[in-house]
Amino acid sequence: MSTYKLYYFDGRGRAEISRLILAIAGQKFEDIRYQSNEWPSHKSEMPLDQMPVLEIDGMKLPQSMTIARFLARQFHLAGKDNLEQAKIEAVADTATDLLNKFGPIIWYQEEPEKKASISEFFANELPKHLHNLETLAKAYSNGGSFFVGNNLTFADLCVYDVLENILEVDANILNQYPWLKTNRDEVAKNTNIATYLINRSQTEF
Amino acid sequence: MSIYKLHYFNFRGRGELARLVFAAAGQTFEDIRYERNEWPSNKSKMPLGQMPVLEFNGTQLPQSITVARFLAKQFQLAGKDNLEQAKVDAVVDTIADLIVKYSPARWEPDETKKKELLKKFFAEDLDKHLQDLDVLRKLYGDGGPFFVGNHLTLADLYFYNTGQNLLQMDENSLNNYPWLKQNREEVEKQPKIAEYIKNRPDMPY
Repeated sequence: MSTYKLYYFDGRGRAEISRLILAIAGQKFEDIRYQSNEWPSHKSEMPLDQMPVLEIDGMKLPQSMTIARFLARQFHLAGKDNLEQAKIEAVADTATDLLNKFGPIIWYQEEPEKKASISEFFANELPKHLHNLETLAKAYSNGGSFFVGNNLTFADLCVYDVLENILEVDANILNQYPWLKTNRDEVAKNTNIATYLINRSQTEF
Repeated sequence: MSIYKLHYFNFRGRGELARLVFAAAGQTFEDIRYERNEWPSNKSKMPLGQMPVLEFNGTQLPQSITVARFLAKQFQLAGKDNLEQAKVDAVVDTIADLIVKYSPARWEPDETKKKELLKKFFAEDLDKHLQDLDVLRKLYGDGGPFFVGNHLTLADLYFYNTGQNLLQMDENSLNNYPWLKQNREEVEKQPKIAEYIKNRPDMPY
């Protein structure tokens, strides 16, 4: 039995995707959260002075998406063969492109730039990313409600997580994207995910 | 008629990593290269309006690193088990971070501003990124010349290509990193890679 420790700040940020995978897999893990004033004293313990870091049986892995992909494979959420894995990763990468555009705005910017950046993002960035996600769903989903094949995978969790941040700012963004809306509902219906979400503490980010 | 078709521009860019994987594996593929003026009429054929795109068994896969990871897995260049794959991934993601950091300088159209940005990158940012790669190879490399385990993986191929870009911008950029220099030489020495490099079109980027 492997032991898992996940190190991150006390928030969703770039670690939540891994927490969602561990939740859906029903896998126990140490959910280590550092407050911002604790972080400086732990920084040098991390390979690249950054978090999240996953420690598996004492071996440390940096890089949020590497961690998530590893956990997805460990818990059979990564597709049944190489090609399916690649389709899932293509969706995940596309969701990450979106996160890399939106994340820095909500995590690091201050007002009044933040408000302007958010407006700009909603007008000029978000639509093409949502369109891209729907394009991939059409290509890979076999006509169902999940992104790849007919099962809930890492792809669905990735999109769920990334969109959560954006929906917090504007709950209507999926109104013109019925497939994405349905997909999101399907993820939230999963028993382990639903339980996790009910019990999860509210955090600033 | 190959079962693998790679669509990309006629330069290295984001397509070269996939080409290097094919070369290392000795796998034939259709290397479809578009000149810039051919691209607009072909853009809509690609799932996300972008390249590279890999066509395999009737599936189109976008996202350059997803494509490279898929090919690496197909040809046993991705790591021998889940954990090793994650170590390779962590190096790949860390190289990707380096590319994100130097890209604004590399592609700056204004020559004066470019010189300034490059100077800043090399003085302030390069070392942290190369040190990060050194940390990971010490952690994962088993003391040999390759990033992970004792064999060539996607991580080495990615650093090979990225190192070429760095050396182009500053021929001294790897002088303080003998292991990284040696790692590139190991990649270049592989007979199939050497052959590929000898015969490929010589492109500035």
